[in-house]
Amino acid sequence: MAQARLARREHLTGWAFIAPALILLGLFMIYPIIWSLWMSFQVGKGMNLSFGGFANIERLTKDPVFLRALGNTFTFFIVQVPIMIVLALLLAVALNDATLRFRGLFRTAIFLPCVCSLIAYSTLFKSMFANDGVVNQALMALHIIGAPIAWFSDPFWAKVVIILAITWRWTGYNMIFYLAALQNIDRSIYEAARIDGVPAWARFRYLTIPMLKPVILFTTVISTIGTLQLFDEVYNFTAGNGGPSDSTLTLSLYIYNLTFKFMPSFGYSATVSWVIVVVVGILSLIQFLIARDRRSS
Amino acid sequence: MNRIVSRHGRMLGLALAGISFLSVTAASAGDVTVWAWDPNFNGATMKEAASRYAAINPDANIIVDDSASQDDIRAKLQTQLLAGSTDGLPDIVLIQDDVAQKYLQSFPGAFEPLSDSIDMSVFAQYKVAAATLDGKSYSLPFDSGVTGLFYRSDMLAEAGFTPADLENITWDRLVEIGTEVKAKTGKPLLDLDLNDTGLIRMMMQSAGAWYFNEDGSLNIVDNAPLKKALETYAKFYQADLVKPVSGWAEYTGAFTSGEVAMVPVGVWITGTIKANADQSGLWGVAPIPRLDVEGSVNASNQGGSSWYVLASSDNKEEAIDFLKTVWGGDVDFYQKILTAQGAVGSLLAARDGEAYQATDEFFGGAPVWQNFSTWLSQIPSVDYGTFTAEVDSAVQAQLPTIIEGGDLTAALQAISDQAQQQMQ
Amino acid sequence: MTDTTMASAAAKPVARTSILPGNFWGLVRRSIVYLLLSIAAFISVFPFFWMIVGTTNTSADIIKGKASFGGAFMQNATTFFTQVDALRVFWNSAFIAVVGTVLTLAISSLAGYGFEMFRSRVRERIFGLLLLLLSIPFAAMMVPLFVMIAQAKLVNTYVAVIVPTVASIFIIFYFRQATKAFPSELRDAAKIDGLKEWQIFLYVYMPVMRSTYAAATIIVFMANWNNYLWPLIVLQTAENKTITLIVSALTSAYVPDYGMTLFATVLATLPTLIIFFLLQRRFVEGMLGAVK
Repeated sequence: MAQARLARREHLTGWAFIAPALILLGLFMIYPIIWSLWMSFQVGKGMNLSFGGFANIERLTKDPVFLRALGNTFTFFIVQVPIMIVLALLLAVALNDATLRFRGLFRTAIFLPCVCSLIAYSTLFKSMFANDGVVNQALMALHIIGAPIAWFSDPFWAKVVIILAITWRWTGYNMIFYLAALQNIDRSIYEAARIDGVPAWARFRYLTIPMLKPVILFTTVISTIGTLQLFDEVYNFTAGNGGPSDSTLTLSLYIYNLTFKFMPSFGYSATVSWVIVVVVGILSLIQFLIARDRRSS
Repeated sequence: MNRIVSRHGRMLGLALAGISFLSVTAASAGDVTVWAWDPNFNGATMKEAASRYAAINPDANIIVDDSASQDDIRAKLQTQLLAGSTDGLPDIVLIQDDVAQKYLQSFPGAFEPLSDSIDMSVFAQYKVAAATLDGKSYSLPFDSGVTGLFYRSDMLAEAGFTPADLENITWDRLVEIGTEVKAKTGKPLLDLDLNDTGLIRMMMQSAGAWYFNEDGSLNIVDNAPLKKALETYAKFYQADLVKPVSGWAEYTGAFTSGEVAMVPVGVWITGTIKANADQSGLWGVAPIPRLDVEGSVNASNQGGSSWYVLASSDNKEEAIDFLKTVWGGDVDFYQKILTAQGAVGSLLAARDGEAYQATDEFFGGAPVWQNFSTWLSQIPSVDYGTFTAEVDSAVQAQLPTIIEGGDLTAALQAISDQAQQQMQ
Repeated sequence: MTDTTMASAAAKPVARTSILPGNFWGLVRRSIVYLLLSIAAFISVFPFFWMIVGTTNTSADIIKGKASFGGAFMQNATTFFTQVDALRVFWNSAFIAVVGTVLTLAISSLAGYGFEMFRSRVRERIFGLLLLLLSIPFAAMMVPLFVMIAQAKLVNTYVAVIVPTVASIFIIFYFRQATKAFPSELRDAAKIDGLKEWQIFLYVYMPVMRSTYAAATIIVFMANWNNYLWPLIVLQTAENKTITLIVSALTSAYVPDYGMTLFATVLATLPTLIIFFLLQRRFVEGMLGAVK
């Protein structure tokens, strides 16, 4: 009897702790989300909306701009996330070496970019990658290129700059997660492996990676969400255009354009947002499954 | 323990009291708030207008907020109109002409028709037409986007040309001149941004054409001026006369620091160019070239914007009276903003004012304002429709292919297809 | 925590004395590591250096790509301070960022603690759902959110900027992870002493987890300080704009003044840098807790 009461009390306390957050999330997230789900079945422009069933989904399949945005978003995701994760891991492992000098200095320096404000960093990157900006000047001085690269006028290079920029900004951030996780690993395991003659790369592959798996999964999921929602960089770098030739147009930027730049077509833009939700859901599931699979094998 | 609880209780009370301070004082009734987007241009002219109105009408309080960019203003306006909420909207807002119809048609009833209380015949008619829907005009026309070919006279001379060589020419002729300039001075003719269709649009409008037919349907595939404009655009690249840039900063940076010889652009750029006082006397302005198609003239428009009164405003009468009094009749005011900000207004009577007759040493002592006035009267009027942004985006998607010399017919078809898709 | 590992490692220089070739290759490898780290650090820091150089040059010099210090710093500062009501703008930003951070930490750490300490099937489901919600782009929610704020007559208030961001799913997630490392003996002992659950949270959990709070402070403060789209929409008058909004508008003027803009950019970055350097040591510890 007393135990049951205690359990119920415990149960209520649990709710009490999460209640403030749940109420706020319900108000400021669930409600708008349900609203946008409802909107995704509406067709029409501006204030003249009417129920259209699955018309918006049908429109998606025929919309070349949407398909381009989807393709770009995937390119960013497939190229950028792995590069960043691997870089962050390598840096973390290098910095985890206790005998390394200036560790704190390196760590701080590499983490610094993510403290930089978005506006600051987009202003910076735009001017650094300008036609006669410092990057072109440096590359030409080193004789890597003969003529300046028109970074933002070329569909390929524009994508490269975006990827470089995101990598610059977030590698240090991810690195800190790995660094923290690495410091939790019992060093004696490494010593034992080293004494057994296991080479460095194998220690990395068969000790470090498996032990960091939960963190890698966590950062991968967070980066996936971040990349699929990619907006700030492309909006600021291309004056809201996603150009040249839609080469940097992402799904989020397309949503923004459909809502704020074009003749407002709110139902359709809500549909595109739900595409992101579905894609993130699927990708997260795949990532979880891969992580679990490896663990069992 | 109780003490601790009560301490927290007090803190909660304090916190709640704090919230009441959180709301920032809103503009009080009787104030007229105006949104503009450049403190050195339209914001400054509006402030000048406000001070003139205050001189006649001491009770009036006109507040000009020019702290947001044009993109920001559009996002704010559109969010609030979509949300059907008007609390945060100003009384008067500045909107660029080519997007005006989108707002007027998407949000019926959101803007106050001004043609009932203000005589629209005193303004340049193409400006009035841009803001007219169902026989009513909704804006007080502000700056004209009449275009000119701004050029560096020193570079032109170095290449062996005189200003007269730029009068009454076609874009094809400009490509020839540009090739010569590049050969002699090493400077590209102009700087272009593949994310911006401004040049193509001004070429098209010089022939009285736009992306749409009169009934609002797409006019792309058989649009001869558009095709010719895209062809010319490609020629600039193929003749290697372009410095590629991206974004406003780089775009303006290229011609204000002498990296390119010319810039065909709306008259509102004057302030940006003249901000570099050390280049005084090195600049000239010619009429923009025409397209080699039927009906094209040596005059066009790029951008330009107008003042709109929100129907939700509590101070509509005052706002309209303000616009009517200063913007609709004060010729002297227009002389002032022309001199101070380089703003070419749309009030026809202002053209006879003294500032418009003056010559400008910065442009080698030429009567630039008179020239602009002349060109202004020749601008073919077009209907910008409601889907210009969508078609622009479709055009931009094809530009990289076009400048590489891709097939124009295919490009036009692709533009048309994409735009059609976006317009549903 | 880093310092202790470093100290203990230094105390016992294990297995570093091997035969010569190993030593030689070790030296080579070490040099490569230093070189790569230096390159990474240089790339990371260079834009900051470039930004600071920019504040000392005139607009014209910056366009020409000048990368050395100039003498226009005072001129840029003067232009900025005459054009922008800096005190007001910084007050707005600081108020929103500080109040927003404190509230976010309070509400979200409570929830993180609650989810981890009191597990039930329903709450686990809710938690799973929250993770999925994390993926919804903000642009999709902006219009309905604005409708709500407008109906509550909160347009143009700090409340409208702060409150919708206070329950942060990411921070709840982060605190839940960190709570896994919170020693349960502490909680048990506190219970035996007769402390109620909220007292445990307040007097045991919060002090013990201060590093976690420090790390979260940096993350949340940065997000609040740099928040752009939502403040843009709900803050309407010039008097309540934040520095982020102002800097963004500066870059799109008809006559852009880059020197002044870069000066504003540096000012806008300074507070987040200061917070970071103040909390840096705790930050790494806090991250450590979260990934245990």
